[in-house]
Amino acid sequence: MQFTLFVPGDSWMHRLDPMSKVLLTVIGLVCTFLLPGHLAPALLLAASLVLLASAGVLRRSTAVFAGVSLIAVTFFVVQGLVYAGNQHPALAIGPVTFYREGLLLGLRLTLRLYNILASSLILILTNRPSDLVESLMRRGLPSRFGYVIIAVLQIIPTMVEASARITDAQRSRGMETEGSLWVRLRAFIPLMGPLVTSSLIATEERALALEVRGFASNRRLTFLHEESIPGYAWPVRIAALAVLALGIAGRVMLS
Amino acid sequence: MSLIRVENLRYRYPRQSALALDGVSFTVEPGEFVGIVGPNKAGKSTLCQALVGLVPHFYKGAIGGKVEVAGLDVHTTSVGEVSRRAGLVFQSPFTQMSGAKFSVYEEVAFGLERAGIPRDEMIRRIEWSLRLLGLWDLRDRSPFALSGGQMQRLAIASVLVMQPEVLILDEPTSQLDPAGTSEVFAAVGDLCRQGMAVVMAEHKVDRIAARADKVLVLNRGRVLAWGPPGEVFSLDGLEEHGVAVPAVTRAARELGWREQGGTYPVTVEAAARIGGAALGRDQG
Amino acid sequence: MAEIRVKDLHFSYTPGVEVLRGINLVLSPGSVAIVGQNGAGKSTFVRLLNGLLRPTQGEVWVDDLSTASTTVASMARKVGLVFQNPTDQLFKSRVLDEVMFGPLNLGASQDEARQRAEAALARVGLTGAEARNPYDLGLAERKLVTIASVLAMDTPVVILDEPTIAQDVTGVRQIGDIVTWLQEQGRTVITITHDMDFVARYFQRVLVFQAGQVLADGTAEEIFSRPDLLRQAGLEPPPITVLGQRLGLARPPLTVEGFVARLRGPNGLAP
Repeated sequence: MQFTLFVPGDSWMHRLDPMSKVLLTVIGLVCTFLLPGHLAPALLLAASLVLLASAGVLRRSTAVFAGVSLIAVTFFVVQGLVYAGNQHPALAIGPVTFYREGLLLGLRLTLRLYNILASSLILILTNRPSDLVESLMRRGLPSRFGYVIIAVLQIIPTMVEASARITDAQRSRGMETEGSLWVRLRAFIPLMGPLVTSSLIATEERALALEVRGFASNRRLTFLHEESIPGYAWPVRIAALAVLALGIAGRVMLS
Repeated sequence: MSLIRVENLRYRYPRQSALALDGVSFTVEPGEFVGIVGPNKAGKSTLCQALVGLVPHFYKGAIGGKVEVAGLDVHTTSVGEVSRRAGLVFQSPFTQMSGAKFSVYEEVAFGLERAGIPRDEMIRRIEWSLRLLGLWDLRDRSPFALSGGQMQRLAIASVLVMQPEVLILDEPTSQLDPAGTSEVFAAVGDLCRQGMAVVMAEHKVDRIAARADKVLVLNRGRVLAWGPPGEVFSLDGLEEHGVAVPAVTRAARELGWREQGGTYPVTVEAAARIGGAALGRDQG
Repeated sequence: MAEIRVKDLHFSYTPGVEVLRGINLVLSPGSVAIVGQNGAGKSTFVRLLNGLLRPTQGEVWVDDLSTASTTVASMARKVGLVFQNPTDQLFKSRVLDEVMFGPLNLGASQDEARQRAEAALARVGLTGAEARNPYDLGLAERKLVTIASVLAMDTPVVILDEPTIAQDVTGVRQIGDIVTWLQEQGRTVITITHDMDFVARYFQRVLVFQAGQVLADGTAEEIFSRPDLLRQAGLEPPPITVLGQRLGLARPPLTVEGFVARLRGPNGLAP
């Protein structure tokens, strides 16, 4: 089992090879920090959303965005109130005044946050982590590193599953877990110790099993599947690089 | 030349004072099926792991004696190298899944990719291995959607696909139902006929007695007995050491039913033959 | 001491895929073995007996408690379940604490819980291991600790999910003795197992599960004398019974002792 936000699908984005998507994500992240003002980042965000929509993962993305909306709100609130460059009041609610400069900064920060997320989600939602790792290994990443990444991702679902089983065992021995929130919270605490222990033991057993499947070998890897790079991969990569060039040019010209 | 040669193997885990293995010696020829039996904590698992080098390379500790597998000196060769010639299958199916692959087919390919085998060869071996373990029809299923027994067969297939000369199995059927157990033993039989040496640690002595060429009985790290099942299970005093003896052998001992050579029968067929003759004699 | 009534039980994990397809049973005090191939629904069934799973259709009653309307923790007063994998169950750093956990949850005082824990550990042969860490014990001993932790709860129903896996001869005998002891105490012992020898020796009643239904329900002798049934369920009788069948014995014995006694009987065989 892998911990993954991967949304299965067959869109053009899904069929794009992982390296191209890494490129898209990296360029998106670079542009996020490169583009000045408000309009350019907003356009970047819009473009990312279009890409996500075309991959059929917009709904999951929105869920992620909603998850961090609280942070975005704090940007507005904190900067609007106490940003050092605040001069012009924009909004007054009772005794509290929000200033224009602060609010605009809050907007920039929020756009940045959402751009980082949107660019990252392009990669995360349309890829299995193991496919990404395999792509890297085709290009020379030592298999040991690849495994470490996979192993770390496996710890989470292993723990989730183990916690369900351990909780079943606790309940079968009389520990109440159904009922009020407080009861359920309290049942969570004794879970920690065995969860960690059993995960560590499972990790050791896994390490042993992998050791004997030649994981530690230094031989050159071969691959079962041929990596399929679709025809449109290069045009996409070039388009992305062009956007980056535009961004850099724009930044240079405006400063 | 023996595929496995163990001479006076002694081993102590770190931070322990007692020897886990104390002077174990035996050999295994190509095509032989050797069963390792004995009570828990006798050293069966330790011995299995010593045959591929996990003992001592992974566990550290103190080791003495010699272990030679497929011509390699295990104590001076890396586990990865030995594992190319000797495959080890563990008890728990779940932790043997790589977790990186999403179909049975790809899971089996995992080790092959690490070993740098060319693609056509990979495809050939994967099919062979899956068919042998009865998994070909399940090849597109996710490894996590398999039952415990199917998963264990997948673990065996994943090791087999490396085409080792030696296969070591540490209590492989403990989580399997009788049908699954039969499949594992049948597959082992096929492999031995193809020249592989197989070593299996097991509690199911009835099955071992029926199928193994030789049996190694361990208790507290020492060899209590070593030889063909008929001889080994006919020895006195095994049960006092906590060693299981096939049911028909126990019955035969009580009733004095012996084979020509003086040993007791260890399979149902042999016991039926001897018993039938004895009963016929008595009534006729 | 407790009676389990299962009425028209159906269960699906995912809608549309029925794992249990209509089970009707009454389980009275005594020893019951549940056998069948992997995937037949045995583990699912026992989890429906203590409320971990709730029926998709039908009812499960333990005396006057319905699993549908009782929390698992409350059902634990009546039904103790030992899981197949000890690692799922162990969460204390000392064996004694582990075994005391159950009784403490059920309301016992510290002293009472300790006494029950020590008695339970004695019964599984682990006296002396109280202060050790369960994870320092081997797999088989960890299994015995989990059995002890359920024994300490003194429930009228005890369910063991494949207790003899990875046990050696001594361990199997110990667990068999526990089954016998529980039976003598008037409790209901339900065990899932693949070990036909174990079934033949220690169990009064055998339920054969196949594809989510109960294929057969009878004594071990009855069940093992029906080759067609066994084949359908993917099972075989214990070797000594097969031997008896081959020798043409009527009602072939189920244990080595029974076999030997039968052959030394009126037929008068040496020695």
